[in-house]
Amino acid sequence: MDMQRTGFSRFALSAYFWGVIAFLAFPIFVIIPISFSNSQFLRFPPQDLGIRWYETYFNDAVWVSATILSFKVALLASLVATIVGTMAVISLDRGAARTRQMLTYLITAPIIIPHIFIALGVFILAIRFGFADSEIALAGAHATIAMPFVVLIVGAAMRQMDPTIERAARVLGAGPVRAFFSATFPSLLPAIVAAGVFAFFVSFDELIIAQFMLSGKETLPMRIWADLKLEVSPTVAAVSSLLIVVTTIAMVGAELLRRRAAGVRGD
Amino acid sequence: MLAFIRRTWLLWPAIGLLLVFFLVPSLDLIQASVMNPDFTLEHFERIADRKVYLAVFWRTLQVSLIVAFLAALVGYPIAYFINLQPRKTQFLLIFLIFIPLWMSVLIRSYAWMIVLGRDGIINTALLGLGLTEEPVRLLFTSGAVYFAMLQILLPVQIVTAYSAMTEIDMDLMRAARVLGARPWQALRRVFIPLSLDGTITGAIIVFMLSMGFFITPALVGGRQDMMLANLIEFQVERLNWSFASALAILLLLGTVLTVIVIRRLGNLITRRIA
Repeated sequence: MDMQRTGFSRFALSAYFWGVIAFLAFPIFVIIPISFSNSQFLRFPPQDLGIRWYETYFNDAVWVSATILSFKVALLASLVATIVGTMAVISLDRGAARTRQMLTYLITAPIIIPHIFIALGVFILAIRFGFADSEIALAGAHATIAMPFVVLIVGAAMRQMDPTIERAARVLGAGPVRAFFSATFPSLLPAIVAAGVFAFFVSFDELIIAQFMLSGKETLPMRIWADLKLEVSPTVAAVSSLLIVVTTIAMVGAELLRRRAAGVRGD
Repeated sequence: MLAFIRRTWLLWPAIGLLLVFFLVPSLDLIQASVMNPDFTLEHFERIADRKVYLAVFWRTLQVSLIVAFLAALVGYPIAYFINLQPRKTQFLLIFLIFIPLWMSVLIRSYAWMIVLGRDGIINTALLGLGLTEEPVRLLFTSGAVYFAMLQILLPVQIVTAYSAMTEIDMDLMRAARVLGARPWQALRRVFIPLSLDGTITGAIIVFMLSMGFFITPALVGGRQDMMLANLIEFQVERLNWSFASALAILLLLGTVLTVIVIRRLGNLITRRIA
């Protein structure tokens, strides 16, 4: 009797689990099929299959230049966030525990602040100092909201490291910089790359700061946003499908890299 | 001095970035909210005087609280289920939760537009089955906002609750069983009290993210579903930066105060249950 009941609740729980997974994942199974329809309308299931909307996307100068702009901004933002964030982690690792805690709070604060708050602040500042409409400034703002994730990811990897290896390198005569790059850096690298990928997509997907700062140019999220508010053309389905595939591959790769690095250290 | 610089220089770029793109802009925003051009509280008075602005604030708070509560409720058994699996399977299942999380909010809101629209999947099915004569209005409703926000934020809740559960020593459950507790009693007396804290943390994160939501209410909600972030954007478009700043401060203060209240209540409940 008891066995039967636990058997049933196990089954119910796993059915519930897969139901929720379906609820979470349904955008993939809606958007990708619809992107391969040649029809003007978003009908499901799609009739008249083809790649018409992919052709529209790749041949439309507006979509292509929005994609290129997003790519450039995200690349710069993730480079800055990753380098600056990693430097901060190294510095914090060497500091006293209490200062480290306080500074980590400060650096990770932008995570919990609504983006619209940051967007408005940066926008007001940009107008005052005349750097509105600057892609570099946008990348800087994106780097600031991505940096907390870098500090958290690389910081977690740093805490799992064995400090005696670097100390051993120092004892054997390496300078502090050389000791770091030959002992600590190699095992930190997977986490740094994972953090960089993550930072890239934080910037690549960001809408509201870009929307406030840029007036003459458009990033990809801005283009999608404008499209969704007006007409909902199926081109968005094609763009979204490409984004889903690219993001998933990049993130799964980054996550595996991070996991494997954590595993190697005897997790 | 030189020693100080040498010890801390690695930190300076991060501090610089925060100053330029976070701290100074925040101060600028606060200043803008109380200047016109001299010191004034007129923007805050305007919020307090006009019912419509406060109504948007309360709705934002209400939507965020409900979404956070639903996420905690729906997500808890999922986190529990994942935590029951062998370690290898756990990684795999967490991946399944992560994949939708990595999709941009724009894309996930768009999927809801496709599903709920006049010619959307649900309406096509309803018409096809003859359950309705005319398309039902599903898109641009408050219900659509709740469903879409829950779907977008649920992974955050599950991942947070799950990682807290992995810290729980499952031997305690076994001990309770050995000592004669029924499975449900062991769950209720041992596991739930220990896992509640992580679940509340997850709900707080979901709540904070909800408060700033902008894309989803605009795309799948109707006019009546405008949230604070939408109102702020609306004011910025009309070049009312000072008023928008006052609203942004209201958003931040409302969020922080509510988080403190939830945390306090959560601690109280955890102690009661244990």
